[in-house]
Formats: sequence, C-alpha cells, structure tokens
Amino acid sequence: MSRFHHRKLAKAVFLHCTALVVFLLMAFPLYGLLLTSLQPESVIRSRELSFIPQTIYLDHFRALLVEGHIVPLREGLLNSTLVSSLTAVFCLIVGLPAAYALSRLRVPGRNGILAALVSVYFLPTTIFLIPMFVILVRWGIDDTVFSLVLAYGGFVLPFVIWILKTFIDRLPREVEEAAELDGCSHRLVMLRIVFPMARSGVLAAFIFAFILSWVEFLTPLIFTSNLKMTTVALGMFRSTIDIQVGQQAAAAVLTLLPVTLLMMVFQRLITQVLMAGADR
Amino acid sequence: MPKFAPAAPESVPGAGPNHGNRAPGNLRRRETAFSIALVAPALIIIAGIFLYPALFTLILSFAEFDMAALEIGRWVGLKNYEALLANAGFADAIWRTIYFGLLIAFPATVTGFLIALLLNEEFYGRNLLRVVVVLPWAVPPVVAGVLWGQMFHADVGFVNALLYRTGLIDSYRIWFGDGSAALHIIALAEGWKAIPFMVLFILAGLQSLPSQLHEAAAVDGGTSWQRFRYIVFPLMLPIIIPLMLIQFVWAMKAFDTIFVLTRGGPAGQTTTLNYFVYIEAFQSFDLGRASAAAYSLLVVTLMVVLLVTIIQRYAAARRAQA
Repeated sequence: MSRFHHRKLAKAVFLHCTALVVFLLMAFPLYGLLLTSLQPESVIRSRELSFIPQTIYLDHFRALLVEGHIVPLREGLLNSTLVSSLTAVFCLIVGLPAAYALSRLRVPGRNGILAALVSVYFLPTTIFLIPMFVILVRWGIDDTVFSLVLAYGGFVLPFVIWILKTFIDRLPREVEEAAELDGCSHRLVMLRIVFPMARSGVLAAFIFAFILSWVEFLTPLIFTSNLKMTTVALGMFRSTIDIQVGQQAAAAVLTLLPVTLLMMVFQRLITQVLMAGADR
Repeated sequence: MPKFAPAAPESVPGAGPNHGNRAPGNLRRRETAFSIALVAPALIIIAGIFLYPALFTLILSFAEFDMAALEIGRWVGLKNYEALLANAGFADAIWRTIYFGLLIAFPATVTGFLIALLLNEEFYGRNLLRVVVVLPWAVPPVVAGVLWGQMFHADVGFVNALLYRTGLIDSYRIWFGDGSAALHIIALAEGWKAIPFMVLFILAGLQSLPSQLHEAAAVDGGTSWQRFRYIVFPLMLPIIIPLMLIQFVWAMKAFDTIFVLTRGGPAGQTTTLNYFVYIEAFQSFDLGRASAAAYSLLVVTLMVVLLVTIIQRYAAARRAQA
C-alpha cells in the first residue's frame, strides 16, 4: 500500500477511536443512571462493578408511581405537563405576532427590542425572582399553576420570539410581496401566508418552550411549597434523597425521559431552527 | 440559543416590504400602528417579568424588607452593600464564582471544539454520535445533579468503585465532604451539560467556513495540524470567544446542581454568588441584603463581559496590524 493509503487508514482508525471515546464520555453517565434505576437496591449497594445488567428490575418505577408515594412524582409529572404545555402555548400566542412584526414590519425601536430580548438571559435569575416572590405572596397566588405559567412564560418568551423571528427572516418573501401588491393587508398576509409557512418554526419553538419549562427548578422551588403543586423536577428532588438510590435514579429517569425523547425525535428540526440564527 | 452577542442588527430598522418608500404616509402609519399592536403584548409581559422586578430589586438593595408586612421596612442607604463587603464569605464567593465559571467555560469550550472537529469529519456512526452528544442538553440540571451525585456517591458510586479496583485509592472517599473536590464535581456536572451547546454552535461555525480554504491549503502541502493552526483556528476564534463568554456567564448563574449536590457546603465552600443570593433571600429572608448581593453578581458579570470584549477588540486590532 502507498503512504497515502496508510495515512488514510490511520486517520480512519483514529477518528473511530475518538468517536468511541466521545460516545462513552457523553452517554455513560446517562447509561449509568438508567442501569441504577433498573437494579434492585441490593445489587446497587453491592460494591460490584457491573455494566451489563443480570436482571431488569422494574419495582423502583412501580413503587414511585403508586398513588400516595412520599415522592410526589405522579403529581409532578401531571403538573409539569400542564404547566409546560400552557407556557408553550402562551409563548406562541404572544410571541408569534411579535416575531412577525420584528421580522417584517416597521417597528419603532426594533434594534433596541432585539438587543433586550437577548440580554435578559445574561442577567442573574434571582434579580427577577426576589420581587416576583414578594408580589405573588402579596397577591396570594403563590403555590398555583398560574404563578408558574406567568413566571415561565416571561422567562421563555424572549427566546421564543427570537427563534421565531430568525425563522421568519429566512422564509422567502416573494409570495408575501405579491399578495401585498394585490392589496392584501399585513394582517391577512400574516395570518394566511406567514403563519402557515412558519409551521415547523412554531413546532420547534413549542418544543423549546416545553423543555425549558420542564427543566426549571429554582422558580418552583421558591414559588411552591404545597407538595400537590410540585413540578416533576422539584418532586424528584424532594424524593427519597439518599435513602433509596434505586428509586432516586428511577425518579430522575422519569423526569428526563419526556424531554430527552422530544429532543431525540425532533433533533433534526431543533438543530436546523436553532442554527438558522447561528450562521450569520 | 441564538447568537447572544449584543444583537447585531442584520438589516435596517423597519425592514418591511420595500414598498414603504413609495406608499403614502398614511399606509406607512397604519403599518407602524399594526406592528406596535403585534409587539406590545410581548413587550408588556417582558417588562412586567424582567424590567419591573429588576428595578424593584435595585430599590430593595437600599432598604430593609419587612417580611411580615411584605413591604419595605426602612431605607438603609448603602448599608446592605457595606455589610456584604464586611462579610468574608461574600468576597470568597465572588472569587469562587469567577473560578467556577472558568472551570466550566474553558474545558467545555475546548472539549466542544474537539468534538465539533470530530463531527465535521466523515466516519461510521456519525449521525448516532451527533444525537448522543446533544442529549445532555435536554437533561434537566436537577437530574444532572442527581446523576453526578450518584456517580460520586461515597458508598455506591461508580467512581469510588473504579478507583478502588484500580488501586488509585485505598479506601472509599467521601467526595462531597471535601469542598474543593465538591466544587470540581459540580463543575463537571455543569460542564457535561454545557458541551452540547458548544458542539452545535462550533459545528455550525466550522461548516460555514469556505471549503476552498482547506483545498488550497491541501494543495500547498500543509499538514492537518498546520491547516488547523493557521486557517481553521484563527477563523473560528471570533465565534468561539463569544460562545465561551456566554457559557461563563451561565456558569456564574448555576444553581440547581449546587443545590442538589452540596447546598453550598461543606462550610460554604461551594457557595457561588448566585447561591449566596438564594441563601440570603430564601433562608435568611434578608431580602435587602440578597438584592444587594444579586446586583453585585450583575456587576461582576458585566465586568467580565466588558473585560473579554476589550481583550477581544485589542487582539483583533493587533491581528489587523500584523
């Protein structure tokens, strides 16, 4: 074989070995968690190093999902689904028209608005949470779904507007311009042409908003104290804490499963929409 | 997340359909009115959730808050800030926060860059690896905390078992009993979660590099290392520095992992500024001092952002001269 071929082979071997290392680095922690959740407590505590399960043990999951378990995971899953969906819908209803206007229309102070949308994410969240807590308690609406949707909606909205705006920026304008020349109003153009064309951007924004709300921890930690009102991220934490390692792992798996599945299923869409804003 | 450098406006304000110039002023006014109606609800909400609370906190930082009456008790001027400066734990928390930020941002950037370079090559299983690499991104931070907590668990943790087996330690270690070890483990959990973001954006940057550059260099007989060192790396630097900065700022805001793994302990040795604010506000219920600490965190953040921006400008100017 020529030197050229040798070098090519060496490169291929190197790439595949590195890929394997990266795979292990990123996936092993998740695999370990899954494995722990599927093993009986005696195996977990046995101090044996084993990476291939001898048995699959589902009792941790069963125990967790029984009604009245000390870990409010059932309530958490339901509450989180409700709160995250409401937040995502809310952000889309408010964010989509704003994104259209910022992308296509003359908005006074547009650049300032765009800069503000981005810069809020540099600020420490506690700056917003301290007074919000005071206000919610004063209004007597702490510990409610509404208080969480209000807070999450605010936190996620700038990001949703931003990705929708960058998505609309990349839609072709020909149809809209033709419609406008025919005397179609901006309102009709928005409703009949732009919104339908932005469908996949809207889906991506929904998923983002859902995931961001699902993973939120500090806000429910401060705003809720009633165990019935817990979200899943909080509920899993209030769990068994260090008593039952297996159940803790199972709770963690249940918490991350919905969002991880969303991420896997919509990976292509999510990265496409996100990267639309990155390649400029 | 979208480019976070202070939004470079990519088109002129009011980039509406270009009939705007020709249309009668009346139509133009109607467009403006319509656009304001579309943007207003979002702006009102954002102002209500961000601007108003931020100002409220600023005011609170000069006051003593009465938790029973839920209103400002009395004005204390700069006393909250003075109390913080007199508190040795606060100064420690500032330096710890900066160290913690670097501990996450720098390794996550380097690792992210390396993985992005790998994913930019052709190999078997690339698509699968891409999916796996992005996964930690969707992992809730609280789960990341639990996950790494279990890995470093004193009794049942994988790390102790592995190190013991291989003879690197002769007895199981209580990792979270040691402040420095605990801080580094928290950084590991945060860094692991930060890598996907870096990979995705660096990869997008790599793919936007003109491919002719590579070909030209290959024809000129440069080695891969030379191509990387003199072409890819300098071109990627303007993308990587802002990404690292974003990661740094986010790392300084880390909360969930600290809460889950150590609650700022042992002896406050994993208390970063953000966690310090939480303790003051929601454990001591001293909202005035918490607000002052929160604004201190904001000032530290702004100073770091400013510093990096100045260095970057300076370096760019030097490069342009050379």
